[in-house]
Amino acid sequence: MATFVQLVVVGLLTGGVYVAVGVGFGLVWGVLNIVNLAHGALVVIGGYITWQLFTTMHLDPFLTLPVDAVALFVLGYALQRGLINRIIRAPLLFTFLLTFGVNLIVVNLLLLEFGSDFRSVTPAYSGQGLQLGSVVIPYVQLLSLGVAILLSALLAFILNRTRIGLAINAIAADRDAAQLVGIDLRHAYAVTFGLGAACAGVAGGLIPMIQAITPTAGEPYTLQAFVIVILGGLGRVSATVVGGLAFGLVEAFGQSIPGSGSVFANAIAFGLMVVVLVTRPQGLLGRLR
Amino acid sequence: MIASGRRWRRIFVVVGGILAAYALLAPLTSLDAAQSANVPLLADRLWFRIATYIAMFIVMATAWNIIGGIAGYAAFGNVAFFGIGAYTTGMLVAKAKWPFLVSLPFAPLVSAAFAGLVGLPLLRLRGHYFAVASLGVGVAVGELVQNIDYGGQPLFGGASGLFLPIYSVGNRDLFFFYLMVAAAAIAIGITWWVLRSRFGYGLIAIRENEEAASVLGVNTTAYKVAAFALAAALTGLAGGIFCQWSVFINQDNAFPIEYNVQMILMALLGGTGTVFGPAAGAVLLQLLIQFLGGSLPISFEIPFVSTDARPIVAQVFLGVLLVVVVIFVPRGVIDFFGGRSRLSLSYLRRSLRETSL
Repeated sequence: MATFVQLVVVGLLTGGVYVAVGVGFGLVWGVLNIVNLAHGALVVIGGYITWQLFTTMHLDPFLTLPVDAVALFVLGYALQRGLINRIIRAPLLFTFLLTFGVNLIVVNLLLLEFGSDFRSVTPAYSGQGLQLGSVVIPYVQLLSLGVAILLSALLAFILNRTRIGLAINAIAADRDAAQLVGIDLRHAYAVTFGLGAACAGVAGGLIPMIQAITPTAGEPYTLQAFVIVILGGLGRVSATVVGGLAFGLVEAFGQSIPGSGSVFANAIAFGLMVVVLVTRPQGLLGRLR
Repeated sequence: MIASGRRWRRIFVVVGGILAAYALLAPLTSLDAAQSANVPLLADRLWFRIATYIAMFIVMATAWNIIGGIAGYAAFGNVAFFGIGAYTTGMLVAKAKWPFLVSLPFAPLVSAAFAGLVGLPLLRLRGHYFAVASLGVGVAVGELVQNIDYGGQPLFGGASGLFLPIYSVGNRDLFFFYLMVAAAAIAIGITWWVLRSRFGYGLIAIRENEEAASVLGVNTTAYKVAAFALAAALTGLAGGIFCQWSVFINQDNAFPIEYNVQMILMALLGGTGTVFGPAAGAVLLQLLIQFLGGSLPISFEIPFVSTDARPIVAQVFLGVLLVVVVIFVPRGVIDFFGGRSRLSLSYLRRSLRETSL
């Protein structure tokens, strides 16, 4: 029983990062119909910004998160406005390839700049945790989960309560109708992608406290984000939150099976995805469209 | 316009023919018999190696074209079939001690069987879902092959890989070069046949409108799975030849994730849905990759870039090329040779406007 509780706690805590990784990806996919293969690379950029600020200016990593968000928003806005908007009416393979090209460029520029060394961010409280009976809850992971929930709430607020958020919702519902009522599509598309990138940046700021990063560390996050969004269901922030937490739980329990280990992480994730896609294609919380 | 198109096409065919003839005949001059008869050496071993790689990518890009270009299903994990082919032949040769040429036919068979098996559920998915699910299969298969244990022993050589006995034949480089070229010829021949058959028309109908194809009586599931398995068989064949050629296989060289995108970019650069497009793209792109990586026997310096950073810069360049091709030349360079359009500023502007928001 104690191990069961421990596994649930570990799963939910790791799920926090997955939520942060998933929400931005889900937003871009749901609204713009773009599967952003550069999402993991954007996450890693956020990680390097946090690492740089932490090592040179000794800023607390959690205080660097707004910097990550703003920097990645600007980058994402420019990417969508300058490149992806150009092929938005092309077949789907093309957005795939374009974002993969961006991924290649970003990853290799990071390699040129930072090398392939592992980098991690270790604030003073990184080893400590909350003792609850036999279960230990590390502060960093607890705070990360809090940040992820806060980030999702903020995103949901922007989407449902602000003017640009309503415009984004209108585009998701019907692009041409949205244009007819006077929404500037190019700008709104770019803002949507920027918001997705900003979420990726925040997720990236959290990751180096939990796991050391390299420029190539982003790829699994892209794939995991895809699985998370499918697991929860496309189109709502809350569904992605559930998907991220569920993914964390599945991973925690999957790795506790004897004979298995972290080496099968991808196989478990994709096995899960195929099962969900075949049996419940709308996701755990999704509605059929 | 038409006349100039035809002229371009003729130039293309002649230049391509000369290049192909040179590539096929030059290796013969390295035979001992040719050497003793004082035939000048037209290609050294390094060029063989590169030419064999090019032929290998012709097979993979042409195979991808069958499922991705003709049937329109964006498969992103075809490298799984390359690896499965490599490990099938590799296991038969290294563990079961079968002769290489007997075990080679099992590579396409096992790859195709696996593709049929995963294709049945995966090909029910459309669009993004199929693309990423196939990418997932590509990643997961490599991981499983490396990590599966049986009775405490790694079943497929594990992380340390699989060593094959060296295949003894007179001139190994020449042998594997011609074997790979034969595979490339088979792949192109099959594509030629597919595009002229009822099967191919069914696949094109699926690409253009799957519901309509189904209503018109195309058995879409069977067609899609058959196309997927055919692509897998050809890719697996390349893998089977590769494993004996390279003598050593592991997760890194049998399941390289970057091949997934390279073969797609090659097909796209040359022109998807055509017979020779992917092959042309494979030649261009593979030469470019080897050139930038510094493996061609042409020495040159890139300013401001150290030798160590060269492969990384090459990757950046590949990314930029991907972006440029996708935005400006979405129908591939073969479009310029078929007489359908001419390379000009207005062509680039038009392809930009067509897909822009």
